[in-house]
Amino acid sequence: MDSVTSTSPAPRRPRGRWRRTKLGRRLAAALALGGALVTTGGLYVVLAPRPQIAAASATTAQVDPALVATGQQLYDSACITCHGTNLQGVAGRGPSLIGVGSAAVFFQVSTGRMPLSRELTHAYRKPPLPEFDPGTDQGRRNTAALEAYVQAHGGGPQLPAQRGSALRGDDPARGGELFRLNCASCHSFTGRGGALTSGTFAPILNPATPEQVYAAMLTGPANMPRFGDRQLTPQEKKDIIAYILSVSSQRNSPGGYDLGDIGPTAEGITAFVIGMVALVGVTVWLGAKS
Amino acid sequence: MTAKEPDPRGADAEHRSREQLARLAAELSDVEIVANIPPWPRPRTPAEKRAERSVALWFVLSGLSAIAFVVAYTIWPSDYVSPGEDGATLYALYTPVIGATFAVSVLALGIGLITYIKKFFPHEVSVQQLHNGPSNERARATAVALFEQTSHDTGIPRRSLITRAALGATGLFGIAAGVLAIGGFVRYPWKGGDQAAKWITGWKPLNGDTVYLRAETGVLGNIVRVRPGDMQPGSMQTVFPYRESDRGDEALLLAAERASDAPVMLIRLHPGTEVTKRPGQENFNYGDYYAFSKICTHLGCPASQYESKTNISLCPCHQSEFLITESAKPIFGPAARPLPQLPITVNAEGYFVARGDFIEPVGPVFWEMRTR
Repeated sequence: MDSVTSTSPAPRRPRGRWRRTKLGRRLAAALALGGALVTTGGLYVVLAPRPQIAAASATTAQVDPALVATGQQLYDSACITCHGTNLQGVAGRGPSLIGVGSAAVFFQVSTGRMPLSRELTHAYRKPPLPEFDPGTDQGRRNTAALEAYVQAHGGGPQLPAQRGSALRGDDPARGGELFRLNCASCHSFTGRGGALTSGTFAPILNPATPEQVYAAMLTGPANMPRFGDRQLTPQEKKDIIAYILSVSSQRNSPGGYDLGDIGPTAEGITAFVIGMVALVGVTVWLGAKS
Repeated sequence: MTAKEPDPRGADAEHRSREQLARLAAELSDVEIVANIPPWPRPRTPAEKRAERSVALWFVLSGLSAIAFVVAYTIWPSDYVSPGEDGATLYALYTPVIGATFAVSVLALGIGLITYIKKFFPHEVSVQQLHNGPSNERARATAVALFEQTSHDTGIPRRSLITRAALGATGLFGIAAGVLAIGGFVRYPWKGGDQAAKWITGWKPLNGDTVYLRAETGVLGNIVRVRPGDMQPGSMQTVFPYRESDRGDEALLLAAERASDAPVMLIRLHPGTEVTKRPGQENFNYGDYYAFSKICTHLGCPASQYESKTNISLCPCHQSEFLITESAKPIFGPAARPLPQLPITVNAEGYFVARGDFIEPVGPVFWEMRTR
């Protein structure tokens, strides 16, 4: 928002010597405008505050009105029933979306939690709607439009520009430490998920992409607490993602099968059963007549 | 030597062959060899050669596997590579490879021994006579008499003073040994009276020092003190006590982090959340920030499954639920008392600090809890 106000008054200074020809006048005006824009932009880059706010306003500045309009169309067809005409929410159906941020939209829509298939107290992961499928170009464009529309109403947390493996930190050990402190109480030590109150649960993290994990930490969907960038820095979030990617989805099973990744009970009983069968087999062989 | 005495059951031993001696040994133990069939009656047949080679093959396999184990153990990349990076597959195979080579080495050795026994040991059937019942009358009488004679000669029954003193000393020594063995396990949690470990936690400011709320970053020496504004509404963070005097001292930092009664949940509620405070704890919070012990009052698990919408903190061990908006009152499950609340405020530097220790003991109840 800062940049919108600072760039919009485009000053036009030189008006004297180049009046002779039409072309000259236009050239001069274009040069002056370009110079003024570059100066303002340069000043903005130098003077604007470094952290979060700069990133946020830079993204806001790029908002394309056409994108927001498309987003509104999509919103009006998919979300308006529960979240109301101006994102203010509908009592008894859905909460207000003002200020939830584009990261929340990305998380809820790309994981298929939203739109809900029917009225539920808890949103579950399901295949996303075809028009919001992150696997297709159209789906990504539509999700981006919806994000822009919601972001344009009250702002809120946004995902960083990086995607995919760029969100994977380089210190999974530290990520594991932070995961066990902040996340493991609900999601279990290797992201298996776990029970919460009143029939709800924390989901398994296997299907979550790095962007979805990042967005969940930023926005705190459902009952999850939020982890702002000053509580867990972006680097810490990336390390946590690196840890999740290292342990989930059979990636941490050198033996070939992770036995549900639930720890020593399953592993111990498997070793016991297989070991006992092997011992009995050897004993039978020892006693057999050749 | 004994050879000069004529053996009642056989002649001089040294003039017998090995086979005869072995048979004699069996006879002396009342063992009768019924049949002894050599597995290979004709020596050096092709079949015997094959059997010999197959046994040797197992031992060779064992040896090769042992070499493979030593080589893999020494040069296989064993430093952690996270999945997806270059060399992750090679690293993931480290444990299976050293395990498999070692296992094959041990197994092949055992299998080789057993096949050797099965293929080359003679098939022998022997019968040993066993004698049931007690020893004969004379042997029993002499054995009893020997004991009685020894007892009479050493004079133990007559010297009762020595006997009793010795028994007493033995018993007392046993007690001393027991104290030595068990004493190391005994911890006395009441040492220090009012300042006993049971009553105070690391949050108590001693000697007037400031106790900050420290966030865990995964790096021990990296001190991050929490300030208001660091947390979003509807968030929770585990914090540990931190004193400026601990800075740089890894042992003290680690001790503060590892103490079982130290972890505290710092919760920032959504603005405008309705809160019922416990009498006497009205000013323990700082705005929307509330700090509660993370240790469940039932059996001491971390009760930190904080739900930001319902404001319930759930303990995963036995499903005790604490309602944060009612001063962490237990509303479900076996826990019977609320999570102790830590009084917090913000100091002149803008950091969260503890205004004092918990006003009640942290963790599970104990008998003397109400005595103070």
